[in-house]
Amino acid sequence: MNRYLIFSLLAVLLCGSCRSYQYPNAVGMRTSHQQEVNNYYTDTTHTWVYRSQIQAFGKDMTGHLIIRAMAPNTHRLALVSDLGQTILDVSVFPDRHELHAAMADINKKILVKELAWVFRSLTERRYVQNALIFMDKQHYPVYVVDDHFYSMEERHLADIVVTKNGKERFHVSFDDVQRKLPKNITIQHKKYPVAIQLKLDEKQSVL
Amino acid sequence: MRVKISYMLLFMLPFFSDAQTRQMTSSEISVFQQTLKESVQVKTLSADFVQYKHMNFIKQPITSSGKIYLKQPDRLSWSYTAPFQYRMVFRDNKIFIDDQGKKKSMDIGNSKQFEKISRLVSSSMRGGGYDEKEFTVSYLKKGDANMLKLFPKLQDIKKYIKEIVLVFSDKDTQVEEVTLVEPSNDYTRFILKNRKVNGQINESVFNL
Repeated sequence: MNRYLIFSLLAVLLCGSCRSYQYPNAVGMRTSHQQEVNNYYTDTTHTWVYRSQIQAFGKDMTGHLIIRAMAPNTHRLALVSDLGQTILDVSVFPDRHELHAAMADINKKILVKELAWVFRSLTERRYVQNALIFMDKQHYPVYVVDDHFYSMEERHLADIVVTKNGKERFHVSFDDVQRKLPKNITIQHKKYPVAIQLKLDEKQSVL
Repeated sequence: MRVKISYMLLFMLPFFSDAQTRQMTSSEISVFQQTLKESVQVKTLSADFVQYKHMNFIKQPITSSGKIYLKQPDRLSWSYTAPFQYRMVFRDNKIFIDDQGKKKSMDIGNSKQFEKISRLVSSSMRGGGYDEKEFTVSYLKKGDANMLKLFPKLQDIKKYIKEIVLVFSDKDTQVEEVTLVEPSNDYTRFILKNRKVNGQINESVFNL
């Protein structure tokens, strides 16, 4: 009986974790020619500075997010408060992250890992070959790679939906894209009460 | 020949670099401590400031500027005017914030760390606000200017700040530069300009 219960529980857990995310109105997948998505932050000579507003767990914080491409697939991102304190400074690689500094209050392994994941999705250049098929008229293409859904609008990346275990984990929206660079970005976490609004500070950026 | 030129450049380097920093002699320390004691008690302070945030992976610092008003014992108005508008007022154990017209307030109790850092910066700007029980103090000379390095002793502050560097004007005894060095060695430098000590400050500055 016990063995039966354990197997049932494992089966439920495994099925749950294998569940795939159902993108709204998508009915299938097609293979397309390979293309590059999310190439906003590839130039290693640039530094992008965004004014940031963060609402997290009922608290508000304003400051700056600094983004620098150290190599085509390595980015360093730092969140800095208005008073100049470094909140988080992390390098993100395709398969790992390296923490340089974190304010004592947020230096928790799970939190840092989650933020590094968000930052990786925000900056990582990906190559895609699969696109979703929609039942009704398709207004824009949506490409899929791993658990990331990249939707394009007028030849630029407009949204990234990142999923885990069949559920949306977080959503990144790029707005007001000019000269291949988004001036506004919104990040909404779906599991934790975290929202980040970013506005490009062109004067402080090195472009 | 190339080696000779290298040696020559190495020798000349100190003449081209910024003012050199050295430890004060014991007599210089006594004179400086006496000057601090005799200097006017800061009851109010208003100043413009420019803030530079330095990190080792960025080529140019993140720069912002604004205005600070202090009134003893517990009123502080801190506003950024460029490149964004953001104002904080500390009054009656509360922090009042105006973020580009969006106003809110919170109890200081909910944001002790935020309050601690801002108080630390503002008390540093006042100059004499350090306590040898809380800080190990190092007395230095930077060119003609006096300089203090404060190393926090309390674990609670050490978590956020590795050292505070205060540079005093060589024209008066007031602080003209504050640098906060974080444990990661990133640092934020505040340059104070148009300082007015013990001038009239309109109470409306602390209303938000």
